[in-house]
Amino acid sequence: MRRFILHRLLQAAILLIGVSIIGFALMHLAPGGPLAVYTLNPTVTSQDIERVKVLFGLDQPVYVQYLKWARGLLTGHWGFSFFGGQEVRVIVLERLPATFLLMGSSMMLALVVGVSIGVLAAVRRGSGFDYATAIMAMIALSLPTFWFGLLAIFTFAQTLGWFPAGGIASATDAGLLDRLWHLVLPMSVLAFVLVAQWSRYTRSAMIEILSQDFIRTARAKGLASGTVLLNHAVRAALAPLITLAGLQLPLLVGGALVTETVFSWPGMGLLFINALNTRDYPILMAILMVGAVVVVLGNLLADILVALVDPRVKLHG
Amino acid sequence: MSENSNERPTALNRRDFLKVGGTAAVSVPAMSGMVTATAIGALTSSARAAAAGQCVLGVTQEAVNFNPLLYVNTGVETSVEFIVFDNLWKIDPAGKFVPNLATEIPTQQNGGISADGLTWTIKLRTDATWHDGAPFTAADVVFTLDTLLNPKVTVRSRNGHENVETYTAVDDHTIKIKLKEAFAPYMVSWQKTSIIPKHILADVADINTAPFNTSPIGTGPFKFANRVAGSEIEFEPNAKYHGGAPKLSKLIQKFVPDQQTLYAQFQTGEVDIYDTQGIPPLLYEKAKKLAGSKTMLSPSPFVEFIYFNCGKPQFQDKRVRKAIYMAIDKKAWIDSVYYGVPIPTLSFLPSNHWAYNKALVDPGFNPAKAAALLEEAGWKAASDGVRAKDGVRLAFTMSTTAGNKSRELAQQVVQQNLKKINVEMTIKNMPASVVWGDYCVKSEYDTLMVGWDALLYPDPDYGDRIKSNAIPAKGGNGSNYVQYENKEIDELCAKGVNVVDQAERKKIYDRIQEILLDDMPFAPIFAYQVIIGIKDRIGGYAVNPYTPINSWNTADWTAS
Repeated sequence: MRRFILHRLLQAAILLIGVSIIGFALMHLAPGGPLAVYTLNPTVTSQDIERVKVLFGLDQPVYVQYLKWARGLLTGHWGFSFFGGQEVRVIVLERLPATFLLMGSSMMLALVVGVSIGVLAAVRRGSGFDYATAIMAMIALSLPTFWFGLLAIFTFAQTLGWFPAGGIASATDAGLLDRLWHLVLPMSVLAFVLVAQWSRYTRSAMIEILSQDFIRTARAKGLASGTVLLNHAVRAALAPLITLAGLQLPLLVGGALVTETVFSWPGMGLLFINALNTRDYPILMAILMVGAVVVVLGNLLADILVALVDPRVKLHG
Repeated sequence: MSENSNERPTALNRRDFLKVGGTAAVSVPAMSGMVTATAIGALTSSARAAAAGQCVLGVTQEAVNFNPLLYVNTGVETSVEFIVFDNLWKIDPAGKFVPNLATEIPTQQNGGISADGLTWTIKLRTDATWHDGAPFTAADVVFTLDTLLNPKVTVRSRNGHENVETYTAVDDHTIKIKLKEAFAPYMVSWQKTSIIPKHILADVADINTAPFNTSPIGTGPFKFANRVAGSEIEFEPNAKYHGGAPKLSKLIQKFVPDQQTLYAQFQTGEVDIYDTQGIPPLLYEKAKKLAGSKTMLSPSPFVEFIYFNCGKPQFQDKRVRKAIYMAIDKKAWIDSVYYGVPIPTLSFLPSNHWAYNKALVDPGFNPAKAAALLEEAGWKAASDGVRAKDGVRLAFTMSTTAGNKSRELAQQVVQQNLKKINVEMTIKNMPASVVWGDYCVKSEYDTLMVGWDALLYPDPDYGDRIKSNAIPAKGGNGSNYVQYENKEIDELCAKGVNVVDQAERKKIYDRIQEILLDDMPFAPIFAYQVIIGIKDRIGGYAVNPYTPINSWNTADWTAS
């Protein structure tokens, strides 16, 4: 197990270096750049732009800029935002909790609701419930998140007035209740698509498992059907679901990006969109790297968990 | 300001895309009244309405840098600058300079400006203090100039201070400045320059990354109290403000990235003032009918243009540029795309500006005359239906920020107008970070649809955009992206900044505007007006056409 983890970590390191090089190159090769923001400010002259370009180091060859950035990152210095002048590490770290709160709560919600729907649909295969949830899932998967988000704001914030139209807390009162109240809509919107996926995967995994011999044996032993379902079938279905959770991470990160913008949720997604539009390279690179690390580690964790729940899986270094 | 709403890179493609979807949602009539009281709603309604004395300012872009010399985002960051910092003099809604950190406006009459216009002596207040209690002195003004001219600091613009030859603090509350040559816009240079504290920044290793930039200390009406990144900034009143203590107990700038969401929050009362980028024109009629709030139109210095790249073979003859101007239905553009909100103009200045040339005559919307002018210039329709001359087709691209819905509609209007006179226009929009990069600065485009104001607005000096030595594509310093060259204009521009007398200057700028309308290096269409939404509980708010943002008098604001 230890050898496996070490080996995978080494792989991850190489992967992350690759991601950083490709990411950096793509960002700099793409037309346009951070100085366009200066052009748009009417008080700025082309002379000012040239001056700022040199001060930002943007006049140097891309590989020099990359090496500078990489050396900084390895020594714990992530650089400074072009526009805020703040240390990127500080900017990113202060946004992480909001994103983790949104992603974590959505994932939990999606897991509980999605797996429950999936199990029920598998058990009552062909029932009205099965068909209804299948249709719901199709709708959820084909709806763009932003559209669903706007619909939710229109219905529950503007028309019914049940929930706030956005933000993480009220400007004037930021108690726990207030925070939860702000969390409901964005969490549900982000969870919606995930529920659809979880329920469909759980359903197929369960259907396959329910038809297997050991379930029949368990039933034949006279175990209560609830026990068979929860202790035998669901446990066996867990392994593919954990893998799915790992694979879902990039989707979750992407969904959070859109959801955060629609709901003005002050997390990394919002930061990323802003940085992307102004081409604030140091922030973009930091978010890219944090995202890559989360996905790589998430998948590693998923592999380890699968081995833990499924004794047939052996980890090879 | 309008530039912000339409052009800032943060005005995302996606957001404008949302506008379409969201608009459909917002325009559902049911929206207006049906707020159902529910258990949750009742539970939290007290938290929703801000307390008396508190005011929430809603913005769709995030302010990230609060150093008044370093930030680049006009609008949201200017708003913070006005709330936390002071300049030597302000400009009021009538366009008059009003002393702020200076005790009087220097003039030749009061001896503040020498007869040759070169030496400026400015007297400063003795009762102003920084938010940390330190006294404000002439050393701070000198330090501000040092920083502006420091080659290592990423100041966005030197605001015309590069014309300074020497500057010294005569005593603690007097500063003397000598200019290289008389420079009329210098009054505006100081109006645009906020003073930064020497005692905080003098010993900082690198001002570009100083903690000050995110937790600023100024002399202004409000203190920077707290910031939640990506969400909001809280300001507390500065009880010792030299202009009198602010009446609000708390001011909050709340960042809501999506226009539709911000409108929803304005409607529900989570936001008191929808300012900065303004309510989208599409929602103007709806906003006017909202209970408990009113709307105001705030004239903006930004003028919307079609920029012609005079370096391209299609646009070298001014008759072509003028024909295009005449072929465009400007009124339809304003009415159908912007719901009649903007004000037409024939110059680079809004028509309410003191230097606007009232004698300018609009050549009008006249496709027949436009076609005749093109014929006269030798551009004849070819077999493909598009005019051509000497092998050059009268076909070109028009670019602006992709996803800007209003501009995209306007482009379609122009495209249809031009088709009627056998001119082919192709829409080629790109992300802001691309179109406003080298593509614009190095004059690689054919035409642009863009809104801009003068470099040191409200001073009418426009040399930076029209002088022949200001073409970056030809190695010049300036923003003459249209590559326009005219000797008379060069001379007039030089004269315009040297003459101090306003009546004399008016004559010069009248002539400049006359020439530009005839040469048409850029086609002026209209000056923007920002639609402000404001709750009835807020008082003291005053629209100022001479500042890029209306938070110029926050000390006077009230909230009941």
